[in-house]
Amino acid sequence: MTEPEAQPLLRFTGHRHLRTRLLLATLTGRAIRISQIRSTSHTHPGLTPTEVSFLRLLDAVTNGSSIEFSMTGTTLVYRPGLITGSSEGLGAIGGVIRHELHKECASRGVSWWIVPLCILSPFSKGNMNVVFHGEGCVTGATPAGDISADTVRTAILPLYRNFGIERNIELRILKRSCAPGPGKSAGGEVQLVFNHQVRLPKTLHLMNPGRVKRIRGVAYAVGVSGSNNARVIEAARGVLNKFVPDTYIFSDVSSAPLVPSNDKNNPGGKKKGAVGFGISLVAESSTHCLYSADMSSPPTGGTPPEDIGKQAAYQLLEVISQGGCVEKSAVETMVCLMAMGSEDVGRLAMGRDVVGSEDVIQLGRDLSEFGGSGWGLRDAGEGRDDLIVSVVGRGVGNVGRKVA
Amino acid sequence: MPALATMTTRTLKRKRVTREEPEQPSRSPTPSSSEAESDSDDGKLQDIFRKAFEAKFKPLDVEPKKQKIETVVEDVEEEDEESDWSGISSDGDEPNVEVVEYTSRTQLANERASKAELRAFMSSKPPTSSTPSLTQKKHKSKSSSDDDDPTESSHLKNDLALQKLLRDSHLLSSAAASAAASAAANTSLTATGAARHKSTDLQLLALGAKTSIHAQKSMPMAHRKGIIAKAREREEKRRKEAREAGIVLEREVKVKKKEGGKERERGVGGPSVGRFKGGMLRLSKRDVADITGHRGDRSAGRGGRGNGKSRRR
Repeated sequence: MTEPEAQPLLRFTGHRHLRTRLLLATLTGRAIRISQIRSTSHTHPGLTPTEVSFLRLLDAVTNGSSIEFSMTGTTLVYRPGLITGSSEGLGAIGGVIRHELHKECASRGVSWWIVPLCILSPFSKGNMNVVFHGEGCVTGATPAGDISADTVRTAILPLYRNFGIERNIELRILKRSCAPGPGKSAGGEVQLVFNHQVRLPKTLHLMNPGRVKRIRGVAYAVGVSGSNNARVIEAARGVLNKFVPDTYIFSDVSSAPLVPSNDKNNPGGKKKGAVGFGISLVAESSTHCLYSADMSSPPTGGTPPEDIGKQAAYQLLEVISQGGCVEKSAVETMVCLMAMGSEDVGRLAMGRDVVGSEDVIQLGRDLSEFGGSGWGLRDAGEGRDDLIVSVVGRGVGNVGRKVA
Repeated sequence: MPALATMTTRTLKRKRVTREEPEQPSRSPTPSSSEAESDSDDGKLQDIFRKAFEAKFKPLDVEPKKQKIETVVEDVEEEDEESDWSGISSDGDEPNVEVVEYTSRTQLANERASKAELRAFMSSKPPTSSTPSLTQKKHKSKSSSDDDDPTESSHLKNDLALQKLLRDSHLLSSAAASAAASAAANTSLTATGAARHKSTDLQLLALGAKTSIHAQKSMPMAHRKGIIAKAREREEKRRKEAREAGIVLEREVKVKKKEGGKERERGVGGPSVGRFKGGMLRLSKRDVADITGHRGDRSAGRGGRGNGKSRRR
């Protein structure tokens, strides 16, 4: 790609917010150079396996990207190409990209890859159809704080409707898995189908959070008894039913995923992947704002299901109490799509704690670094605690769809 | 505080009583109205008095019976008030009532989501917020149609009728022409007879019916083959002529042959006859007939092209 050469490389340092920067680089088409990635670490300098896997994914869904590492992996130059999606002939087989997550990637949930991929998908030239699989594919919530694939489906993907992106979006959880302990592997399988590409997302004005009118959820048990689900659900409903009587939590029981046992004596053999249980809760307000909470059993086990259910319910209440129209885990999606929208001011009400969190602040800084205009902040007024964040779109939108 | 409150109510009550006191004798001069009723002489006297009174002033509308009931009710009310206040004063001495929230297990369990909702939420698509309000939506649409002014609904009706007429116009014209040729001209706009059947068929097709109701379902195979061949030949001829004349026609729709489900599986190691399923070889009636063979050789029947009678699927 010769086009981005006209602009100088954007320079960043440090390993923090690496994924967001790579995402913004791909969206805006700016080449970036990230240096000093964990350069002070003696044991694990450079990129982690998860970050490398994310770079591979970006490479798979784009055409013409170039990625250069330094010898130690502490410096990275990324020149993004055109987002082509899972077009035939570019790594996709039968219109599907199969992205394997290796065993080392199991520290993060699969949502760590899916959420940014979803942000890229509307701006893709062709359809997006990616299957995540492998020993590092964790569909449940993880102790690292990643949301579960269920929450992505029920709390993140519906947000795209606000931007006029709603057709042919699916997230199929083909095989469930929980966060594995040390020495174990996950072995989940998730398919993301995102076939609604747009030229420009609609301008968003979301100012009124409304009142929470219903709570839905999914309790999942993988390779453990389904009674765990019932106990989780009962504990969660015991807390939530008082506030919202319209509370339903569905139960999903599945067997443990099978992963190949890398055994020399038994080359075709399989063994069970990680087991566990968890819950994903989503609250919907009268103005279709979504708040979610996730909790799953720790890989070490030993936590009763009642505790998990209660913690998830309390977490949901906390997220709702932070106010605003978006929760913390959805801010990246909303703000990126607003920033990529038409040259118009979009407004979004956010809770003070949400805006004040480190990730959101850094996202704002990175966005302005990538050529976006700064955010405008003002009080929501009328005794409300929220802030109204105004984001101006870049007006570039989908480069691959310019002609169409 | 309670003491003060009682005081005020007392005074109020007193006042009310004093205000009512002059009224009561005016309605019923005797202190007990029941006595007045029973005694006829007293009643006469009362009538005389009343007439005299009414001659001087306005006529009175008095029902002594009702009056009695009212007074009784009032007494009861007063007693209630009295007891109420004493109750509150005693409440202060008692300890506070403990509130216990009780959500029973069974109550939680028997609330089940509907199957539709489960499907909507647990499918691979992101759940839409409008799914559970299906019933509400229906209701709303109904009410809106009710609320609409009659002209709107009549417009809609006329619109539908017009669409139907446009759709059927060619049928009607042909029917009218034939009718005119034969007998009196049929100028009515409603289709009758065969034309009506055709119009119904068109409507069904427009609504998404797979095949026309006039399409003949069963006919001899040679017959059908002939029809299909003729249609194909006609189409080919049309295309050929258009090509020669340099006319660009619509793109040809290629019919895919798909009979995968019906076709007999011929995997390696499968049975040469019948169906092997669940450790059992199943023979259909036709298979048995083929084996016992009063229809001739099986393999010949399969291979023979011209033999229309040996129909194997």
